Amino acid sequence: MFYFLRALIFGLVTFSGILFSLSYKISLQAAMVLAYFSGNLAFLVGIGAVRCFKQWLYGEKDAEAHKEETGWKRYFQFTLDHKVIGVQYLVTSFVIFTIAVTMASIMRLELARPEMQFLSFEQYHTIMGMHGISMIVVALIAILGGLGNYFVPIMIGTKDMAFPRLNALSYWMLPPAVILLVSSLFFGGFDFGWTAYPPLSVQGPLGKLSFLLAFITVGFSSIFGGVNFMTTILRLRAKGMDFFKLPIFVWSVFSAGIIVLLATSVVASSLILVVFDRAMGTSFFDPSRGGNALLYQHLFWFYSHPAVYIMILPAFGIILEILPVYARKPLFAYKITAFSFIGIVILSFVVWAHHIFTSGMWDLLTIPFMITTELISVPTGVVFLSALGTLWMGQIRLKVPMLFALGFIFNFLIGGLTGIFNADVPSDLHLHDTYFVVAHFHYTLFGGVIFGLFAGIYHWFPKITGRMFNQTLGKIHFWLIFIGFNSTFLPMFWLGARGMRRRVADYPLEFGNVQLWVSLAAILIIIGVIIFLYNMVQSSIKGTMADSNPWQAHSLEWQIPSPPPKENFEQLPEVKTLPYEYGKIST
Amino acid sequence: MKVKDFLTLTFFSMGLTLILWFLITYTKIMPQAASYEAKHVDGAFNAMLAVTVPIFALVITFVVYTLFRYSAGKDQSEGIKFYGSGNGIVEAAWIFLSLALTLGLAALGTKELFAIRGNDQADLNIQVKASQFSWEFYYPEQNIFSPELILPEGKRVRLLLSSEDVVHSFWVPEFRLKQDLLPGKVVKLLFTPSKLGQYTLFCSELCGSGHTTMTAPVRVVEKEQFAASIKEQSW
Repeated sequence: MFYFLRALIFGLVTFSGILFSLSYKISLQAAMVLAYFSGNLAFLVGIGAVRCFKQWLYGEKDAEAHKEETGWKRYFQFTLDHKVIGVQYLVTSFVIFTIAVTMASIMRLELARPEMQFLSFEQYHTIMGMHGISMIVVALIAILGGLGNYFVPIMIGTKDMAFPRLNALSYWMLPPAVILLVSSLFFGGFDFGWTAYPPLSVQGPLGKLSFLLAFITVGFSSIFGGVNFMTTILRLRAKGMDFFKLPIFVWSVFSAGIIVLLATSVVASSLILVVFDRAMGTSFFDPSRGGNALLYQHLFWFYSHPAVYIMILPAFGIILEILPVYARKPLFAYKITAFSFIGIVILSFVVWAHHIFTSGMWDLLTIPFMITTELISVPTGVVFLSALGTLWMGQIRLKVPMLFALGFIFNFLIGGLTGIFNADVPSDLHLHDTYFVVAHFHYTLFGGVIFGLFAGIYHWFPKITGRMFNQTLGKIHFWLIFIGFNSTFLPMFWLGARGMRRRVADYPLEFGNVQLWVSLAAILIIIGVIIFLYNMVQSSIKGTMADSNPWQAHSLEWQIPSPPPKENFEQLPEVKTLPYEYGKIST
Repeated sequence: MKVKDFLTLTFFSMGLTLILWFLITYTKIMPQAASYEAKHVDGAFNAMLAVTVPIFALVITFVVYTLFRYSAGKDQSEGIKFYGSGNGIVEAAWIFLSLALTLGLAALGTKELFAIRGNDQADLNIQVKASQFSWEFYYPEQNIFSPELILPEGKRVRLLLSSEDVVHSFWVPEFRLKQDLLPGKVVKLLFTPSKLGQYTLFCSELCGSGHTTMTAPVRVVEKEQFAASIKEQSW
């Protein structure tokens, strides 16, 4: 806690000091950039990220391990244990998730009736953009950073990630970014959604710059995480664990890591160019001075489309990891599912332009992008084949994680199938930038990624905390959120096709009743989330003790005590088979 | 899979398909069509519905049926029913079918796209200028500026779209066409209005604080009244 407070003070003092001293000499925008990066560095110094250099300087050897605190305090400092970092990521995600849900509630309150109720247009746009970027960050970091960090090293049978310091660094870059993002509300907000298209993002208040800087930081943190996962999975697998004995979740994290590494730098560079346009007077995206506004959209979506696969691949992994445990059957078609993940990775790099079919790009060029985008449904279909094949003739146990996995199948099926409508150029000419798209990506990202996250958290909760969650509350949470989610977002397909634009604060009178229904249905989701948060906090403190393998699962993480000891294994395991040999032999 | 399973699945998935189809038709998911291009957009849309709705029904029926048929219930023992970790024929058929369906849909989409974009000839040019947060229409042949977009029924028009400041987007839901307006560039949009009436033009790309209210009236008039109608608008 001391380190965390010290870091906050270091960061804030440096940030405001540089901002105030420089804003007299150079433009406020440029001062803000310098102040933020210095403040971020000061935060990292405060949290203890440079301790290793100090030790090296004084000639201390491996003193770090002894100085780390135990208990809850280690969650507030620069701890290298991958399990601590995983929990830090998870808790941070739910803090951001709560912000996002609050923003969504304000939006639904405003949208419940036609005409403006209590927000101004600027406020609505800022709240909408805040909801968007917060949920993007949650979907990016919660599964990959949280559950991935916690379980990938254990599942492949090793002590820690390949680069523990880099891992801690990638987490500790996030808190300053989140603080900056929230503070943008006080710097005038940002009215460009989460996509920040120039020239709109070049004009206007300082809040837009905070958004850009926060986004860039998340990008860097994400790259550090991705490279760490890839190295860990390539180099640190236990004896006997070749690539086709990896649990499918590890495969999905590996595939997501490839995308993170190859694509994130592109969006970071495009955002940095916007920062240059704002702070240094360049004109990369300003047409009146020779720039090109469309270029940004290409660069942005070259990352931001693959980004949705960074989010959804680990969710696929969790679902396919969970289904065999609760259907008591081996994972169906394991090998081609693993290959289909790689297929998704490859295809994800050649589909970005389907976000800009209507942007004024050359018509003939839209056709190859339509074909590649629709081809993605083939590897995604394989994931469904694997899920359905695993269920068929199993012995299905409807525990809470299984309910969420089944809910995922239902939601993601709708999300995936409606994606075809958006991928098809003629119908996209009509559906682009409407509520149809809003409904589609909520079905894939909320109904998909967040349901996968819930499934994973319930599945691994006994392992992480050593306690069992309240199963009744878990089931209530599932039904509230499943019914609430579908009644909220299913009508949005209809609204969008009928002519409801997205990102507007007001709408024609004819949509009034459906919008009211949507707002009312969203209340169920909010109650569900509150029950979930209560259940998690209450059960991790007071829940009944769980034994080390309450679900009778076979993968490595269930063969060690809960919660796992430091460095996970007393001696590193040797692996002989896939972890899905259910039903064959009684264990 | 036994005959009984197969028949049950077929029966229920067909039933679900019919129910969904009825709901989609009954709630009139698309607004009225007011341009020739709208027919092609609706054609592509309906073709995709015809493919995706049965797939959805089949998968959901399969999952729900499996849950009932193979529920473990209270029995938590590790009984051996079936040990199958894959089936080459099913996997190959699944991949082949999904590949064929997607390529078919892409081919159909390409065909409809050519029907919408193929013809570059137009009877009439109109310049559309967007700025934060208003629309302006200029008829160069008549040298008339107008705050309302007036179009002759049955004539092919070429809109020359340009933006003064940020990215905007031209969208009339009844025409089913959307086109972004980029600053520093003129983008063409060709279509043929086919139904008389009053419509609304929406800006559908977030363009700043006034985005929500950035609309303009659109009116499709008879060919004969066109010249008179735009003269009234002159300001």
